[in-house]
Amino acid sequence: MANVVIIGAGFAGQTAALYLGSALGKDHNITVINKYDVFGYTPSWVWVGVGQMAPEKTVFKLKPVYDKFHIHFVQGTAKSIFVDDQYVLVDKADDGGEERVPYDYLVIATGAKLNFAGTPGLGPHDGYTTSICSLPHAVDARDKLFQLMERMERGEKVKIVVGTGHPGATCQGAAFEYITNIHKALLKRGLRDKAELMWLSNEPALGDFGVRGVHVRKNGRLLSSEDFIRAIFELYDIKWQVQTGVRKVEPGRIYWENYEGVEGETEFDFAMLIPQFLGPGFTYYDKDGKDVTDQLANKGGFVLVDAIYGLDWDTLAETPEAWPAVYQNRKYKNIFAAGIAFAPPGSISRPFVNPNGLSITAAPPRTGMISGIIGRIVALNIIDLVKRGRMTHAERMTEMFAACIASMGDSLWDGSAATIVIYPVVPDPRTYPNEEGRDLFVTDMEMGLAGAWMKRMIHTTFMHKLQGRIGWKLIPE
Amino acid sequence: MTFEITEKDARKMNNKLIQLWRFIVLNLKILKAVDHSKRS
Repeated sequence: MANVVIIGAGFAGQTAALYLGSALGKDHNITVINKYDVFGYTPSWVWVGVGQMAPEKTVFKLKPVYDKFHIHFVQGTAKSIFVDDQYVLVDKADDGGEERVPYDYLVIATGAKLNFAGTPGLGPHDGYTTSICSLPHAVDARDKLFQLMERMERGEKVKIVVGTGHPGATCQGAAFEYITNIHKALLKRGLRDKAELMWLSNEPALGDFGVRGVHVRKNGRLLSSEDFIRAIFELYDIKWQVQTGVRKVEPGRIYWENYEGVEGETEFDFAMLIPQFLGPGFTYYDKDGKDVTDQLANKGGFVLVDAIYGLDWDTLAETPEAWPAVYQNRKYKNIFAAGIAFAPPGSISRPFVNPNGLSITAAPPRTGMISGIIGRIVALNIIDLVKRGRMTHAERMTEMFAACIASMGDSLWDGSAATIVIYPVVPDPRTYPNEEGRDLFVTDMEMGLAGAWMKRMIHTTFMHKLQGRIGWKLIPE
Repeated sequence: MTFEITEKDARKMNNKLIQLWRFIVLNLKILKAVDHSKRS
């Protein structure tokens, strides 16, 4: 009987748990360790952050789902991993003490550690900005936005800044969606003329989103995501500043540096800035109690897997096989990482170091669909290993698709969304020998009501799938 | 040549029939990508 342990119950962990539970749950021990007893549907926290969706509609209890799939659940925080003795040391919730959870196969799918401390003054706890990266953060952002709207109703003019709060941040898509939703919420309340909206980001160009931007053919000509997002910002009167790394935040003031090395400040009344994401940051020990973390994780705490690390960016851009295929640690082959937790071989967008030596580089996004796909690949391979002793599944980010749907209001009648379908996520110039390195039929970018329908459809189908309801396997990650 | 969203574009974005067509097309594109990827 095999012990399979999954740390984390986000997109990657939950997807892996469902596949593992359905294939092995009855005959083997499948255990999920998670800090919270609920799953949170991250993409809809944008709506929570503007008061368009009740927080409870974005979560569901994990235990009833796991009971159905014969999965054990340990609520707590994994602290360290003993790679030779093969157990995870967990601090159980509600002062339940420590527990050793043994494993034969381990899936690390913790999602991102939000490194607000990486930018002094950033974040809702010890800083002056808001976040939509967790449900409590999104609720806090909503409350602060409502307070701001009350000030606007009294006639005050305000400045709202949304974007990235660290020179190496990712997830620009979520921030873009948040600023367009704020625009829509202000319009609805008749307050749009009381606010100046500004986009502040570390992307090399508008519409880059950490994936090197997107180009599509529209009416016989090539349209770039830079032109597309610029047109949306002009339409919505949103100002923008890219190629900028935020260094520090003080009350009402953001301090930044740009590509030229120029230092500047931006004032704000309300800001939502995405922090740097770090890996889980576990400490790993061998059988002698020696710290072997450097064999399993990089400096950011992300788990090292079957990628080719250390290539310069130009070489990496020409080497699709540098991206991992099975997400397995090379030394400890029973340890896998899924979703944000795995260490990518580099950035998708071109990195940049300014004259002051500051790296302003959008990190590669690995959230949502990408996390789900990796969770599935890892789970199917562990099922293979348990049943047949060899892995048969592989999928690199150079073979994955992703859809970024940035809604602008959630109404199915008059809502709208910018839909960007990218295939593959990481350009593969060998398979697609065009300027983009992408499939120009599938890769698409458009705005309209259809996007609002897509966004709602994806919310509903993913919540259905991730609860393991009837037909869940038929819904693609 | 810069891209801009014209009034005609804005009308298309909320035309229910056109948007139903686009919804179908977007879903087909996603299905094609899912099929292309090594889903098994």
